[in-house]
Amino acid sequence: MEDRHMAERTKIFTPVSEKEVTRAIVDGFARQFIEYVESDVLIIGGGPSGLMVGRDVASKGVKTLIVERNNYIGGGFWIGGYLMNKVTVREPGQKILEELGIPYEKAVKGLYVADGPHACSKLIAAACDAGVKFANMTIFDDVVLREGNRVSGAVVNWTPVHALPREITCVDPIALESKFVVDSTGHDACVVKKLEERGVLKTAGFGAMWVEQSEDLVVEHTGEAHPGLIVTGMAVATTYGLPRMGPTFGAMLLSGRKGAQVILEKMKKG
Amino acid sequence: MLNIPGSIDLYQEGDLRGLNIDAMGRYLAENTHIPFRVHGDIYEGLSEERIKAAAEAFARIKVKDPGRRFALGEPLQAEVDYEKKRIRDPHWRIFGILYEGIHYQKIILDLIDQAEPDLRLCFILFTNQLFGTWDRDDLRYHARVSLYGFPHLISTAGVVEAPAKPKDFYLKKQMGVPVDFLMKEYEGRFIDHGDSRMTDVLKGYAIQALFFHLSGDPFCEDPDCRLFNSHWQEEVLHSQLDGRYEFCARHEAILKMIREQSHF
Repeated sequence: MEDRHMAERTKIFTPVSEKEVTRAIVDGFARQFIEYVESDVLIIGGGPSGLMVGRDVASKGVKTLIVERNNYIGGGFWIGGYLMNKVTVREPGQKILEELGIPYEKAVKGLYVADGPHACSKLIAAACDAGVKFANMTIFDDVVLREGNRVSGAVVNWTPVHALPREITCVDPIALESKFVVDSTGHDACVVKKLEERGVLKTAGFGAMWVEQSEDLVVEHTGEAHPGLIVTGMAVATTYGLPRMGPTFGAMLLSGRKGAQVILEKMKKG
Repeated sequence: MLNIPGSIDLYQEGDLRGLNIDAMGRYLAENTHIPFRVHGDIYEGLSEERIKAAAEAFARIKVKDPGRRFALGEPLQAEVDYEKKRIRDPHWRIFGILYEGIHYQKIILDLIDQAEPDLRLCFILFTNQLFGTWDRDDLRYHARVSLYGFPHLISTAGVVEAPAKPKDFYLKKQMGVPVDFLMKEYEGRFIDHGDSRMTDVLKGYAIQALFFHLSGDPFCEDPDCRLFNSHWQEEVLHSQLDGRYEFCARHEAILKMIREQSHF
């Protein structure tokens, strides 16, 4: 008896059974997933531009889900170029770093450097705090099209299932519906490419690297590429054949912001 | 007897970041005795219909793969919208799209309302956009400083981006040195955007345009002459700013002939 009392006094965590843990996970996940089968904005790609779109629209009360094929969120924002974990941002991108509470240093006039892990985790946290929900380990499979070929959602599956050959598994994907879909999938421009496969539009493929000019062009071209589809970040360069960016992130953040503004304006018009 | 134009008409497109078009015109007039007219923004006063047509035309002529022969594209709406925005804003600064140069000339010619090229008129457009032409030697598109014809096009972006910077600039860039650091290290050894030397440098290209207009040959083999066909930034700076003379004896003699024969 004395031994049992002694054992209970030295425990850190409240006793909970394994089945209660499982039920909590399943219940929480299922409730959220059922709720977000239909959203206002469905963002494909959880990298910096997708996170910016999510954070800016969700902070205005817009129901937002980000689909990310990896386990981790953040895309390439954890690491700068060549696996070095410092991220650079050209002016005026540092204003967004300030907004997000990300510390940075000035490298040369007009160029700022932040720690990749700090910047990325702050941006993810900002999106979560704004109310964005995530479906990670989830991969985009196809678009949902409605009248006039308007993009109205996406078809998704678990990433590991998608990676298996069909001879081993034929686990069907499921569809998510939304008012707007955002292609923030980076160079791959997965959603845009799917529309191209269907003959709905034609992309150009990104040009050679030209850091100094590509960022401006990406931000200027960010917007609705097709009814219901907003394209942000590097996917813009692929869609319109713009020069390719190097390891600098200002355009990702500003493009995401602009994509959000386009969505909010369209939602206002109804 | 030279077919000297009655005037040299100067137009501009986009924010030329301090390029002095009046000084350009005065330089041409001093060297040739041909009067000049400064028309300002090429798109000023255009109707919405013509803006839309020009925007669609520009969106079609983007060179998306410099390694492949150009074909007219079918632009996406966002690309046309981008061109409209660019046309409507005389202070537009963004560049980076490479346009097919010959088609660019045709679009501009249409805006000047010239149905047929007329040798009595000499039009020069100074632009901050980039255009390129196909090189038959290495089978790819190259950005150009200038493209002579109807009209003559001279690009402030082109004079910065087309002639090559020193070789080791590119080697260091390839090794990962940030471009901003390199720009500082090599400052002064190339023409940069907004460079205070831009007007003086492009005067030489304006004279090249006139020589092309008169004879079909804008270039000189003398690296000290302003008509030298520079491929490197160091050649540009030398021929336009630091040469032993402005024009070689041959081209100085031709300019003298132009002044004597000019009706003005």
